[in-house]
Amino acid sequence: MSDSPVDVSTPLDIGRATQLAQALRTELRKAVIGQDAVIDDVLTALIAGGHVLLEGVPGLGKTLLVRALARCFDGDFARIQFTPDLMPSDVTGHAVYDLHTEQFKLRKGPLFTHLLLADEINRAPAKTQAALLEAMQERQVTLEGEALPIGQPFIVLATQNPIEQEGTYPLPEAELDRFMLKVRMDYPDAQQELEMVREVTRSARADMLDVQPLRTVLQAEDVLMLQQVASELALDEQVLDYAVRLARTTRTWPGLALGAGPRASIALVRGARARALLRGGEFVIPDDIKSCALAVLRHRVRIAPELDIEGLEVDQVLAQLLDQVPAPRQ
Amino acid sequence: MRLSDASVVIRPRSSWEAMDLGVLLARKHRVLLMSSWALVSLPIFILISVVLWDYPSVAVLVFWWLKPAFERLPLYILSKALFGQTPTLKQALRQWPHLLKGQLLASLTWRRFSLSRSFTMPVVQLEGLAGLARQQRLGILQQRNAGAARWLTLIGIHLETALWVGLMALFYLFLPQQVELDWDWQQLALASSQDWLWLEHLSNAFYALILVFWEPIYVACGFSLYLNRRTVLEAWDLELVFRRLRQRLEAAVAVLLLAVGLLVIAPTPQAMANPPVDSKPLSTPQASQSIKHLLEQPPFKNPETVTRYRFGEDQGANKTKPGADAKLPAWLESFLDNLNSDTFKSLALVMEVLLWGLLIAGITLLAWRYRDWLQAFVSRRRAPRPKAEQPVPSQLFGLDMGVATLPTDIAGAAEQLWATKPREALGLLYRGLLSRLLHDFNLPLKNADTEGQVLERVRHLQQPQLLAFSDDLTRHWQNLAYGHRVPPALAQQQLCADWRSLFDSEAAR
Repeated sequence: MSDSPVDVSTPLDIGRATQLAQALRTELRKAVIGQDAVIDDVLTALIAGGHVLLEGVPGLGKTLLVRALARCFDGDFARIQFTPDLMPSDVTGHAVYDLHTEQFKLRKGPLFTHLLLADEINRAPAKTQAALLEAMQERQVTLEGEALPIGQPFIVLATQNPIEQEGTYPLPEAELDRFMLKVRMDYPDAQQELEMVREVTRSARADMLDVQPLRTVLQAEDVLMLQQVASELALDEQVLDYAVRLARTTRTWPGLALGAGPRASIALVRGARARALLRGGEFVIPDDIKSCALAVLRHRVRIAPELDIEGLEVDQVLAQLLDQVPAPRQ
Repeated sequence: MRLSDASVVIRPRSSWEAMDLGVLLARKHRVLLMSSWALVSLPIFILISVVLWDYPSVAVLVFWWLKPAFERLPLYILSKALFGQTPTLKQALRQWPHLLKGQLLASLTWRRFSLSRSFTMPVVQLEGLAGLARQQRLGILQQRNAGAARWLTLIGIHLETALWVGLMALFYLFLPQQVELDWDWQQLALASSQDWLWLEHLSNAFYALILVFWEPIYVACGFSLYLNRRTVLEAWDLELVFRRLRQRLEAAVAVLLLAVGLLVIAPTPQAMANPPVDSKPLSTPQASQSIKHLLEQPPFKNPETVTRYRFGEDQGANKTKPGADAKLPAWLESFLDNLNSDTFKSLALVMEVLLWGLLIAGITLLAWRYRDWLQAFVSRRRAPRPKAEQPVPSQLFGLDMGVATLPTDIAGAAEQLWATKPREALGLLYRGLLSRLLHDFNLPLKNADTEGQVLERVRHLQQPQLLAFSDDLTRHWQNLAYGHRVPPALAQQQLCADWRSLFDSEAAR
């Protein structure tokens, strides 16, 4: 029982968009227990039209979350399992010689979809990782000299294990910068873990939660509608200034060797708009910026080597930064 | 001076033990020492106080300055008493003017600030040395025990201060209740009028009284340190032992000598020297060579390696250059010799202190220059500071947070502003709320806190009424500030009424 698709051309209704977003959130929370903050972040990226990099040790439900999202979203969903021997053409597609027509025929890869799950993206070498670059930024793929657009919406949800794990290749900065959010998944609370274990052991499939009973909430057009509603939310100059100031501060902050680029400011504002919509607000407030700042900034900055040696995390440095930058002035 | 007459056991002691002996000495002759000191110093103190009645601080300074002059009397008494010739009070007092003659000016001027005063005083007064002889004597004496003497003076300073403060406190405690009520210590401290002169003179008198107690002990300790030093230097204890030995053996010594002589001489028939049997005839060069060889060996020669800096007038340089060029000018040579000697030791010390100071200042400067960097890299280890330490910011979100900048009746002012400038009215209310949170509830609000975070902190206070109001106000404020939506007129009445019920009742209480 999905909601009827909304024509994008009709006057935008913030209330309905919020309802839709919150329904989606409720559904996802049923499937992924104990990761409410991560769900919010993923939905933020979905509404803001950005890509998400999910990081966490194995077994926290990264893939489950994306599968649940795909289940609630009635659009195309593709999944690529990144392995060390994966080739770029396995991702983007390639030309095949057809014996019957004696012509080369383009065979589109799994990239041509709405929701792409790039599972364990850092298990593939940089060559394959780079195949995603063009698709993520320009939403098109060039095959045999021909630029092929990818349908809207297009969202890459990549999961990865922390860099320290065995057999991983770190993502290059250019690739990292194209992810709007980098979301860290941590272990759930004791209470939530109890509940999760109870749910999982009750389901028929022994070791994982079933995503089958989730209902489809969204159509592809709905996502576009959400994105448009979010992009038209009112944004005060002060709030905009706050976002830009945050991004600029990372460039001069002494604890950071490398600051965030302008993409960070853009992502901050887009993320804040999505958050405002998710919150049910009709305009953006500084809290929206601040709540998504960590996810937006953490993969775009590089911590100073001295702090790295001393075992400090990027998150701690950024939290310190957020604690120092003055909130908007009125 | 007859050592055998000494009334103390003479033996080498450690410096602290020697001072202990001084205390014992002072205790033994306490009546004489204290009364003589009091009889000498108190009249002079009274005289000074009367002359300088208007300047009590100057009076006490002059009195303090004259201390070395007074100290000569106890030293005289102690030196006499040590060998059993304890003078009477009258004799001692009569002697005092004579004691003042030797080098009084020096001891009251440039030697006044010497920390080892008690230790060096006997050199002048008892040995009567002056000038170079005194310098050399002091050089020998001060190789040991001088440090202890300095400590003695430092301890004395503290003891005097402590006793003086104690006497003042005692005086205060003895005040009758009624008088004490009228007195206020602040008034006392601030009072500069004439009425309090007597009080300052009273405290000066306390000081003079303390000196009556302490100075004899101080002088006795210094004197016993001096005695100890001389005991070690001149081996007085050994001398005493030998004297006692001589006294005991004086009668028997002639008999003993005779017996020894007989014993040694009688049984030696070959005492006459034979001509050397197998000795070769010595030639002169051989002899001189063996003498030279002997002279090269210890104890005639003790070669010693000394490493020091010298100007590079090496043989190598001398060989290559003509002698006249390599020769240093005489003044430079003497200057270098001076450098090698200890003449410039003090200058070098000053330089060392300066250089260290420069280094420390440089490090401080560097730390200041890179304080941001340090703050980022060092401060994160610090434990979260307690709330009380955080200064209340005077500005928050660009709003002035000082209590003084807000009108007394915030709700009233907001109502007035509402019709014309709703934005300022709401801003005033929100500012008022933040100010209340900061000052009344001591919330640690920071400049970086957003409205949502402020609300979160209010939630922790667990005051439902305040939370409801803050929630309401924050919502309206955000609507206006970020959403540009003017709140309805109803909200105005509601907010102002809530404000009054929340805060004005508190103020009235």
